[in-house]
Amino acid sequence: MSDVVLNKIVKRYGDITVVHGIDLHVKEKEFVVLVGPSGCGKSTTLRMIAGLEEISDGALNIGDRLVNEVAPKDRDVAMVFQNYALYPHLNVAENIAFGLRIRKTPDAEVKNSVAEVAKTLGLTQYLERRPADLSGGQRQRVAMGRAIVRHPDVFLFDEPLSNLDAKLRTQMRAEIKRLHKRLGVTSIYVTHDQVEAMTLADRIVVMRDGRIEQIGTPMELFNNPINTFVASFIGSPPMNQLDATLGMHDGDFIAPTGAGSIRIKASVGLKAAVGKKIVIGIRPEHVSAEPIENASELAIELDLMEPLGSEALLHTHIDEHPFVIKAETHGAIDHLQKLSKIYIDASKVTVFDAETKMAINSPNQEFK
Amino acid sequence: MISNMNLYSRGDKFFAVASTVLVCIFTLSTLYPFLYIAAVSFSSGFAVTAGQVTLTPVDVTLAAYERVLADPMFWNSYKNTFIYTFVGTAVSLLIIIPGAYALSRPQLLGRRYWNFIVAFTMWFNAGMIPFFLNMRDMGLLDSYFGIIIGFACNAFNIILLRNFFEGIPASFEEAARMDGANEFQVLWKVFVPLSKPAIATITLFCIVARWNGFFWAMVLLQDKDKLPLQVYLRRIIVELTDDEEFVSSTLTALYSFETVSAAIMVCSIIPILMIYPFIQKYFNKGIMLGGVKE
Amino acid sequence: MANKRSASERVALLIRHFRREWQLYVLLAPTIIWFFLFLYKPMYGLQIAFKDYSVFRGIEGSAWVGLEHFRELFHNEQFTRAIKNTLILSGYSLVFGFPMPILLALGFNEFTRAFLKRTTQTIVYLPHFISTVIIAGIVISAFSPSVGVVNLFLVKLGFDPIYFLTKPEWFRPIFIGTGIWQEAGFSSIVFLAAIAGVNPSLYESAVVDGANRWQMMWRITIPSILPTIIIMLIIRIGNILEIGFELIILLYQPSTYQTSDVISTFIYRQGLQSAQYDLAAAAGFFNAVVAFVLVLTANTISKRVSRTSLW
Repeated sequence: MSDVVLNKIVKRYGDITVVHGIDLHVKEKEFVVLVGPSGCGKSTTLRMIAGLEEISDGALNIGDRLVNEVAPKDRDVAMVFQNYALYPHLNVAENIAFGLRIRKTPDAEVKNSVAEVAKTLGLTQYLERRPADLSGGQRQRVAMGRAIVRHPDVFLFDEPLSNLDAKLRTQMRAEIKRLHKRLGVTSIYVTHDQVEAMTLADRIVVMRDGRIEQIGTPMELFNNPINTFVASFIGSPPMNQLDATLGMHDGDFIAPTGAGSIRIKASVGLKAAVGKKIVIGIRPEHVSAEPIENASELAIELDLMEPLGSEALLHTHIDEHPFVIKAETHGAIDHLQKLSKIYIDASKVTVFDAETKMAINSPNQEFK
Repeated sequence: MISNMNLYSRGDKFFAVASTVLVCIFTLSTLYPFLYIAAVSFSSGFAVTAGQVTLTPVDVTLAAYERVLADPMFWNSYKNTFIYTFVGTAVSLLIIIPGAYALSRPQLLGRRYWNFIVAFTMWFNAGMIPFFLNMRDMGLLDSYFGIIIGFACNAFNIILLRNFFEGIPASFEEAARMDGANEFQVLWKVFVPLSKPAIATITLFCIVARWNGFFWAMVLLQDKDKLPLQVYLRRIIVELTDDEEFVSSTLTALYSFETVSAAIMVCSIIPILMIYPFIQKYFNKGIMLGGVKE
Repeated sequence: MANKRSASERVALLIRHFRREWQLYVLLAPTIIWFFLFLYKPMYGLQIAFKDYSVFRGIEGSAWVGLEHFRELFHNEQFTRAIKNTLILSGYSLVFGFPMPILLALGFNEFTRAFLKRTTQTIVYLPHFISTVIIAGIVISAFSPSVGVVNLFLVKLGFDPIYFLTKPEWFRPIFIGTGIWQEAGFSSIVFLAAIAGVNPSLYESAVVDGANRWQMMWRITIPSILPTIIIMLIIRIGNILEIGFELIILLYQPSTYQTSDVISTFIYRQGLQSAQYDLAAAAGFFNAVVAFVLVLTANTISKRVSRTSLW
C-alpha cells in the first residue's frame, strides 16, 4: 500500500496561508503531476509530503500511516531536487550510496544496490566520476539513482528537469516515464511546465494561489478546462479567449464578435446564460484555415506568421484580443499568408462565465 | 579587460606605462625591507656595523644563524609557537565550525538573537583591562591553556563561515535529511566538505593570527618557558636594543646584534612564507564568499 | 484565530522542536559559552570603571565611586594628550593612507600581463601577514642611528644622522608610513573586487565608442567603484579610535610619548604596567563607548549609502 492521501492540508507561515486545505488522493503506482505558476503552492505541497515543511493543518497519509509527525527519513519517500543536490566532493557511486551509508547498510549490499541502479540508469561507466565531470543529463540520472537506490514507496520530483536545455529535457522526460513504467512506484512530480505535465502525468493537478483548480487526466484538462485559468494554463499556445455576450439566433447559441458571430453547440447550462457576458475559449488547434462543414466563418486580418515546419502559428486579433491559430502548412506557407477567413467548429467552443470565469459548457463531452 | 593591444593609442600606452611604474615602485618598496633584513642576516657583523650593507649581503656568513640556532630559548619559543598555532587553530575550528553551522540554520530558535550575541562583540568590546582581569580571575594567567582557549573564537570568523553556510543551497541539507542524516552528519558529511575554501580561509586566518600574536602572550605569560617566538623576538629586538651591555656582548667580527636579530626575524617569517601560497589561493576565494558552484 | 495558539500548545510545540533539533543546540553551545565567558563576562567586569577596585575585594566587593575615575581622567594631561594623539595619528593615517589602496587597485587594473599582475599582488599583500614584532624590528633596524639604512643614505647625502625613534616629531611620519607600507596592498583587494564586478561590456562599448584608457578609468571604473570607496571611507572614519597600538607599544619610548602615546597605550601602561585597573578600565570604557557610537553611526550611514547608491 503506498497511496498518498492529503486531507485538508494547510500550510501557514505566520499569518500568511500559502496552501489552503488541499485534498488529493494519489493512488498506488500513479504518476501525479502538480502544475501551476510559481508561487501557487505546488512545491510547498510536495515539501510537506516529503516532510521538509511542517504541515500546519490537515492529515497526510502515506500507505496506511499518518505521517504528519514522522521525520522525512522515516516516511519512506525519496526526492529528486531541482538542482539535483549532488555532493561535489563525492563520486557518482558515493553520491548514490550516500543514503545507504548514512543508514549503515553493509558494504557489500551497498555495492550491489549501487551497481544495480547504475545499470538501470546507464551510469555504470561513470561511477568513479565526480558530478562536476558529468553532463546535465548524467547528473539528472545520478539524482534519480540516489532516489531509486533506497527502494522508496513514493518518489517526489521537484522540477527535476528545469535546469536542462530543451533537447535534454525532452529526452529525460521520456526516460522518467519509462522508469516509472518499469518500477511502478507512486510518483508525485512538481513542474511549472505544462508540457511536462501533459506528457508525464496519469493525472494532473492544476494549482493556483494555494488551491487546487482542477484534477484530471491530461486530456480531460485539455478538452474540458473547468475555468479560464486552467484553459490558459494547459495547452500551448494557450486557448484564445474572447469577450462576448451570449445570444440566440435561429435557435442556435451565438457569440457575436467584431469578426463575425461564433456559433456554439447547444449543451446543458447554456440556456441560462443567454444575455450574460461570457468569455469564449477557442483552442488554436481548433481553428481551421479551410472551410469545414457546420462552422462559423470569421473574417480576420493576419498580423504575423510564425512557421514551425509542419504547422504555423498565425497571429491575428479579434476585438483587440490577440488570437492565435495553429494551421497545417502541408509543406508551404504561401496560402496561409493571404488568409482572411477562418472557420470554427461550433462543437469546439468552450464558454466561460465572464464573472466567475467558470466553464458553462463542456463542449467536448458527449451529451446523449 | 580588453586584451587586444592593437586597440591602444599612444596616450593609452603612456597611461599603461605610468600605472605600471606606480605599482612597481610600490611593489619594490614593499619588497626592499625584506631583502634588507635578509641581507643583514647573512652579512658579517663587521660589515653591518661599518654600514656597508644596503641591499645585498656583504662578507656572506651564517654566523648569525648559528648563534640563533644555538640558543635553547629560541628553540623553546619556536616549539611554543607551534603549540599555540596548531592546538589553538584546532580548538578554534572545533568551536567555530559547529557554531557557524548552527547559526546558519533557519530552524534554530532565536536565531536572530544568537547571531546578535555574536555580532555585537564586533561593535562593543569591554577592552583590555576587564579582559585581563577576567583571565586572571579564571586562573588562566601564565598557562598554555589560557592562551589557547582565550583567543579561540571571534565574531568575524564565525560570521564569515556562517555566511558561507547560508549560501549553500538548502537542497543539499534536505537531500541529506531525506537520506536519514542527522545534524552532525549533515554538518560533517555535507557542509564541511562543501565549504573547504571557506574553512581553509578561516584556518589560515587562525594560523596567521596565532603565529603572529604577541601582545596578549606578552601580557598573560610570565614563565619564560611558555613564551612564543614573537615575545622572544620582541625581547631581543625591542628591549635589548637599548641594552648597551647586551649589544656589545653580541658583537664579534662575525655577527653583531643587528645580524642576530635579523636572523631571528627571517626564521620567524619563513613559516609564514611557506603557507603564503595557500593563503594567496584561499583568501581571494574566502573573502569574496559566493555561492557554491556545482 | 487558528494560528493563535494557547500556552500549552506552544509548550508542546517547543518540546517537539527541541526533541527533534537538540543536536543543533549542542553544536551552538560551545560558541555561545565561549562568547559569554570571554567577551560578555568582561563587560560585566567593566563596572570597576565606577568602583574603587581592590584586587582583594574583587569586582563585586569593591565600593562604588561613581564618576570619580572619569573626573580624574579628564584632569589627567596624559589622557587628554592620548585622545589628541589618537585622533591625529588616525586622521593622518586616513588622509595619507586611504587613497593609496585605491591608486594601487586602479594601477593593477591597467596591467595587461597576468604574470606581472599576480607577482606584484603577491608581494604587496605580504606585509599584512607579517607580525607586528617583525615590522617593528624592520623599522628599528632600518632607522637605527648607527647602521640603519636610512641614516646611511642621509650620511651619504651629506646630512647628519638622525635618531629617528627618539624624536617626537618623527614618530608620526614613521608610524603612518609603516601603516601604509603594511596595509595599503592588502586593502586594495576590496577595490580590486569592486573593479572586477564592473560589467566588462561597459568597457567594450566604450572602446567601440572610441574612449581611451584614461577616459575609461574616469568615466567607468571610478564611478563604478565610488560606492565601495564611500563605504570604506565611512567605515574607516567610524573606526577612527581603532589604532594599531601594538606597533606603538613596540616603537614608542618615553621621549616620544608626547606624539606617540594613544588611548590604548595609556590604558596598557596605567592598567597592566602600573596596576591601576579601575582608572584604566574607566579610560577603556570611555574609549569603547565612543567607538561604539562612532561605529554604529558609520554603519547606519553606510547602510543607507549602499542602499541608495545601488541605483
